Amino acid sequence: MMYEEQETQMQIKLLNTVVELLPEKALFLPDTNTLVIADIHFGKAMHFRKNGISIPPQSAERDYLRLNALIEKKQPARIIVLGDLFHSTHNSEWNLFCEFVAYRSGIRFMLVIGNHDILDRSYYRKLCLEVVENSLEIKDLILSHEPLKKVPEGMVNVAGHIHPGFTLQGRGRQNIKLPCFYMLPNQLILPAFGSLTGLYLLDRTMDSDIYVVTNDKVIEV
Amino acid sequence: MKASKQWFELQQWKAHSFQRETWKQIAAGKSGLLNAPTGYGKTFAIWFGVLQHYLDQKKKPSGLHSLWITPLRALSKEIENAAKKVSHDLSLDYTIGLRTGDTTLSERAKQKKKMPQGLITTPESVHLLMAQKGYYDVFKNLQFVVVDEWHELLGSKRGVQIELALSRLRAINPDLKVWGISATIGNMEEAKEILLGSENEKGVMVRADIKKKIVVETVLPDTLEKFPWAGHLGLRLVDKVLPIIHANKSTLLFTNTRFQAETWYRHLLETDPSLAGVLALHHGSLGEETRQWVENALHEGKLKAVVCTSSLDLGVDFRPVDTVIQIGSPKGIARFMQRAGRSGHQPGATSRIYFVPTHSLEIIEGSAMRYAISNNKMESRIPFIRSFDVLVQYLVTLAVSDGFEPKQIYNEIVKTHCYSSVTEAEFNWCLQFITQGGKSLYAYDEFHKVVVEDGIYKVTNRKIAMQHRLSMGTIVSSTMLTVKFVSGKYLGSIEEWFLSRLKPGDVFWFAGKNLELVRVKDMTAQVRPSKSKNGIIPSWEGGKMPLSSQLAAMIRERLNEYYEGTGKDKELSFLSPLLEEQKKRSVLPHENELLIEKIKTREGCHVFVYPFEGRYVHEGMAAIMANRIALFKPITFSIAMNDYGFELLSDQDIPIEDAIDSDLFSSRHLVDDITKSMNTTEMARRRFRDIAAIAGLVFTGFPGKQIKTKHLQASSKLFFSVFEDYEKDNLLLKECYDELYDFQLEVVRLRKAFERIEKQKIVLKYPERFSPFSFPIFTERWREKFSNEDIEARVRKMKAQLEKD
Repeated sequence: MMYEEQETQMQIKLLNTVVELLPEKALFLPDTNTLVIADIHFGKAMHFRKNGISIPPQSAERDYLRLNALIEKKQPARIIVLGDLFHSTHNSEWNLFCEFVAYRSGIRFMLVIGNHDILDRSYYRKLCLEVVENSLEIKDLILSHEPLKKVPEGMVNVAGHIHPGFTLQGRGRQNIKLPCFYMLPNQLILPAFGSLTGLYLLDRTMDSDIYVVTNDKVIEV
Repeated sequence: MKASKQWFELQQWKAHSFQRETWKQIAAGKSGLLNAPTGYGKTFAIWFGVLQHYLDQKKKPSGLHSLWITPLRALSKEIENAAKKVSHDLSLDYTIGLRTGDTTLSERAKQKKKMPQGLITTPESVHLLMAQKGYYDVFKNLQFVVVDEWHELLGSKRGVQIELALSRLRAINPDLKVWGISATIGNMEEAKEILLGSENEKGVMVRADIKKKIVVETVLPDTLEKFPWAGHLGLRLVDKVLPIIHANKSTLLFTNTRFQAETWYRHLLETDPSLAGVLALHHGSLGEETRQWVENALHEGKLKAVVCTSSLDLGVDFRPVDTVIQIGSPKGIARFMQRAGRSGHQPGATSRIYFVPTHSLEIIEGSAMRYAISNNKMESRIPFIRSFDVLVQYLVTLAVSDGFEPKQIYNEIVKTHCYSSVTEAEFNWCLQFITQGGKSLYAYDEFHKVVVEDGIYKVTNRKIAMQHRLSMGTIVSSTMLTVKFVSGKYLGSIEEWFLSRLKPGDVFWFAGKNLELVRVKDMTAQVRPSKSKNGIIPSWEGGKMPLSSQLAAMIRERLNEYYEGTGKDKELSFLSPLLEEQKKRSVLPHENELLIEKIKTREGCHVFVYPFEGRYVHEGMAAIMANRIALFKPITFSIAMNDYGFELLSDQDIPIEDAIDSDLFSSRHLVDDITKSMNTTEMARRRFRDIAAIAGLVFTGFPGKQIKTKHLQASSKLFFSVFEDYEKDNLLLKECYDELYDFQLEVVRLRKAFERIEKQKIVLKYPERFSPFSFPIFTERWREKFSNEDIEARVRKMKAQLEKD
């Protein structure tokens, strides 16, 4: 039992910072009690519906439930969204998010702006959401939406945007596509949190470490 | 004097009896179906009937008198020319117009002001006309609808579009006469019934009593390759094909895919540079201008040969063509005969068709084909039923123009064959789908596609109306990706299923060029020219088309005749060494035996099964078998198939022996097992792609328009899984499974196959190496997946494997 519990946690060190790669497709920083989530794309279903494309509105709920369960599990003091919090222009689902934030008023929410975050800044202000336009530094980590082209010396960049996935090959011409954490020497790309998103398949390189996410485990491959 | 008599005398032609019969029936006010081959004046058989009706009217109402619907733009041009010539020769005031996707905006505007008497168009364009405000007035005096090549449209969703359009037009004018033209298919009566609908009983069938003589000749290589590899043999036969081209005036080379067409075009030119300028390429992905040029040059007899795809299957009559070559399996008898009929247009002339096999085993199809033709075995075209995607699209179309009243439209659509079983509740679901985006329980819902005002359903949002009109053309068989240079220059379009198999950096040949795939993004494949000499050309093997059951049965019969020593034609004797090798390494099965081969290699455990039933049936059979075997232990399979058999491949031992002992091929619980296998494989997800596009879920953007649509793009897979999770009773989802049953798994055929196998003796062999039968399946690149193993366990296994390598 103990063994299994340990296994659900994948702890790695980014320079001097310990981080946990969570199977919920999120990153946890125990030292600062911070949860980092990328590419949620809330409001996507409603954006589609507003444009006459029928997608069941209930599909949006899943991600709130997942986020809620994750908060219960890790009890973070702070949540940093690494961009693409809300999919597009304003729609009624924003109210749902507002309720969610209000309900979790003890948590400090921060948003690093992503390319999808095109809402007027006043929406975020009303919610007391702290907005970071480019990147945010936490000790030796530098957090951004799009992966930085040049990472400052002595730092590791944590980013989203890519929606990374990896194809595992096996004997008998088998393969599985899974979301993954993609680690380069000075960069960690997080999987997309939102379930209404796709995967962008990445290849293994000489200096990459890949951690795939199955239903409830993170496995280095 | 009748117009027909006058004009035929002018041409110094003598009317065929079927033409006179058709004129008589039309004059008597009948609707009907004309069954006639191409090249004998079927167009005139209908056209003069329609014209005479117009001329005989005492008072000639203004506006549209006849609508002529064809499946191909190229064909519409042809009909237009013929009809215009008649009006001109006889100085009639019957004007002819053309309305297709190519019709210019100014021409459309002119038509809107004043419609011609006769309009030649396509199924999509008819629906587009119905998406225009005031369409009722356009059609109110319409007397005739002629549906050309009905056999081609029937069995596709464009056929369903015709059914819907007719249901509306009949309601506008109850006196409407409908005529279809069809080549011979297995279900002529049903074809007539579907076209004429409730008017069928009063309708007539006119059959042209013309038999074309067809000679089939298989082009054989000098030596036989005992280990056939799909696609390899064909190109080696270039040396045998060139003399045929040179010995004849003008040749059409039919291939099954546009890629095969591209490949042959390249190889013919490389092998014989003297063909430059007289050899042309024709397929659906090439620009309209290029195709038009090729067609004109063919007419004028300027071309020695054209490499083409089904793009030249239909109608258009190229008199100079005297030879047809079919490259690769034609997959079906009706299709083969239709292609054969593209040559020898002079009455009484013999049509000669050469069959060029693309791998050794395919040689047997030449023999099977000849046999089938002499026995007149024609396939049926299975019509679609309950196509909710097309219905949803149609309802929005009506809402975009004048709006509709549900009760009235419901009463119209249940009169069609396709929707006759649709209940009011199901129709209401469709209404809900377009007004609320499905079953909406939410107060904060913002879905406003179609709104209801005073009981009338209409679209009021201009953006949605435009979006709908643009997406209406999407009733095509597969999703297309645009191919562009990185610099932005447009090259053409390619089916997504092909590109999805390529990785960035892979080089492929398209539009006569070697191209390197840079990336696929937003439905566009960006490429750059490649210097690499040999762009990889995967095994095309007839695309996604399966062998028809008629042809499959013929093949089994021919093989058996070889077994019994009674079949003695050229093809079988040539294949003899291969069949003997099969005997030596494994066994050549008799007709009451089913051969299964189990082989172990470094890759894992392979089980090959040879039902000879065509690839779709094999796909279903393999999935069912995988499910049944997986009852013994958690296992993962990769599944490959061709038209002759299929392979289950696993990293672990496949307990086929145990499975055979416990009724692996039983036809009991078949439906249950099919349902399970549909859920455990990707079949349904893939099938949903077209449905999602037609129903307007997948929006591919405004072509050439600077409107931001990026935030509206999602894959059909996403819709599929969301519906699966939240809207199990979604009718589009149900339709997807129904189509899988009827068209992909062909459940009726699948059941028959299982019943046939139940009576067979199972012969299990353990060959040391691949046999001539198994090799071509083993080399198939495209594979279906099946697994009931835990994902985590699989990841760990793959990881361990990785570390070992």
